[in-house]
Amino acid sequence: MKHKYHVIPIFFWIGLGLLVMILSYRLGLGGLRNPGPGLMPFLLGFFLCVIAVYFLLTFLSRKQTLEGTAHAEQGRIHVWRLWLVLASLFAYALLLEPLGFLITTFLVLLILFGTLDNRWSTMLIASLLTALIAYCLFNYLGVQFPKGILRGF
Amino acid sequence: MDVFSGILTGFQTVLDPVNLLFCFGGVFIGTLVGVLPGIGPVGAMSILLPTTYGLSPVSSIIMLAGIFYGAMYGGSTTSILVNIPGEAASVVTCLDGYQMARKGRAGPALGISALGSFIGGTFSIFALVFLVFPLAQTALKFGPPEYFSIIFMSMIILTYMAAGSFVKAILMVLIGLILGTVGIDSVSGVARFSFGSTSLLDGMGLVPVAMGLFGIAEVLSNLEVEIKRSILETRIKHLLPTLQDWRRSIGPIIRGSFIGFFLGILPGPSPVVSSFLSYSIEKKISRDPGAFGQGAIEGVAGPETANNAATGGSFVPLLALGIPPNVSMGLLLGALMIHNIIPGPLLITQHPNVFWGLITSMYVGNIMLVLLNLPLIGIWVKVLKIPYRLLMPLILLCCLIGAYSISNNVVDIVIMVIFGIVGYILRKFDYEMAPLILAFVLGPMLEKHFRTSLIMSDGNLLIFLERPISCVTLIISALLLISTGFSYYRKMKGRVIT
Repeated sequence: MKHKYHVIPIFFWIGLGLLVMILSYRLGLGGLRNPGPGLMPFLLGFFLCVIAVYFLLTFLSRKQTLEGTAHAEQGRIHVWRLWLVLASLFAYALLLEPLGFLITTFLVLLILFGTLDNRWSTMLIASLLTALIAYCLFNYLGVQFPKGILRGF
Repeated sequence: MDVFSGILTGFQTVLDPVNLLFCFGGVFIGTLVGVLPGIGPVGAMSILLPTTYGLSPVSSIIMLAGIFYGAMYGGSTTSILVNIPGEAASVVTCLDGYQMARKGRAGPALGISALGSFIGGTFSIFALVFLVFPLAQTALKFGPPEYFSIIFMSMIILTYMAAGSFVKAILMVLIGLILGTVGIDSVSGVARFSFGSTSLLDGMGLVPVAMGLFGIAEVLSNLEVEIKRSILETRIKHLLPTLQDWRRSIGPIIRGSFIGFFLGILPGPSPVVSSFLSYSIEKKISRDPGAFGQGAIEGVAGPETANNAATGGSFVPLLALGIPPNVSMGLLLGALMIHNIIPGPLLITQHPNVFWGLITSMYVGNIMLVLLNLPLIGIWVKVLKIPYRLLMPLILLCCLIGAYSISNNVVDIVIMVIFGIVGYILRKFDYEMAPLILAFVLGPMLEKHFRTSLIMSDGNLLIFLERPISCVTLIISALLLISTGFSYYRKMKGRVIT
């Protein structure tokens, strides 16, 4: 199956290969007798470009092209869930240290449980219990969590 | 240390209550993730890897290995009862296992799959013991050129065995290798592609990358398309197969044990490939091939034995050469290296308790798994009823805590989420993750051996062809590459003409 949008990553690989080659060249390629730090990544970048260009050419030479995007259509229904989950994961990284483990985990779990469920009571209880159990369990396993604004307690 | 005293040392290690507990924990979690579609053994192993930092090397390796082989047992339960594979190696079990369940024979299907798995697993442990020794002895004579060639061949086989496009698999290998070069170069001490970030000086961690590509990406994919599970409402009775069932299954079990073990040694998703190969062989040699797909017990016994036997085979290259043949073994390698243990030919002599402890734990773990999966099957049926809306937040939370606990640094969470997005997008474009992550693990080793070989030979590339083992390995790699490239070219040419 060939979809038009499958060409996007191929261009990305070509760009990435070129970038790696440039950066590796700057690191120093050395010679075969004394290989420099840039030699291996340079070769890898070069092969990435070559194979991606070959892939692009074979891709473009194929006749059948499906205009529709089956994957995209299938996914469009719940795409907001993806954004919500991704936003909450990044928010977790951002808030973990200032707010502390318990509060951040509780808030993020509230969103995550809410993504696929809309009963408030279930969400609240599940988030609170999970945050507390996770704190106790992982603390026992030796994981040090930031206390954040609960530092004084 | 001879084999007998080694096994005794192993049992002494594994029967220590703490190790026994971690062995049980591993196989329990393995069965759990095997039963639950939406998270596989690789995801679970990468999530739990950071929690093993505080444990002893033996305990951590016993637990992680338990997850790997335990998942093979659990996967069959979901395939038989729900017609959805709990993990990839159980895809083929759906064909006949579910049909058996529909005909009221869920019990014998689950029974033969657990007992076949046990036989396959046990066979592979014995074969592993007898193969690792001579291989490790031979590997002691290997130098950097041999290691370079073997790792290179592993990558070629990896792309050869990839389920999807060959070119896409090569691209993924190259991306993995490039990612492996990030951080301080071990030879020159120069920082590569770290862009001024101190967090990247040690390179990108295996755990956040693997957790992102397998854990987060899998959750994101499942968020879009809901997994609809309807458990077959059938009473599970007569778990022990009848004499007639055994008569039909014993051949597939024996063949599955051999197929699984020897395929397991090869790089690639061996449990998956071996289960498919076992199924197609059984169908081909069967007197009644029409019965396959209609609930033939041979179609359950063979593949389930093969995927378990493959797990034992996978340990051969890791333990004897220090080269992981698949992603799960790559994670085990990572776990051992965290504890400053380098798997390879010297492992048996330098860390006998780790080597023998791991091997005997697999035997003990297999016994635990039979008990977990036969008398306690009811628990797993209940687990199957847990809705995904409750599981998803728990999986994500484990990923978040796992990533943070690596070095108490939120940067690891960010790296994990970024790789989760990358993995999700790549899946959309039908790229496979396994070649990427394995190349990422093997990349630094490949580069080290390549550069050392060149320094050894004063820049003469012929060193790779002058040494017999390296030369043969490279010739095999070239032949594989040419044959795959040729068949790809013919396929492409065919498409253009049509």
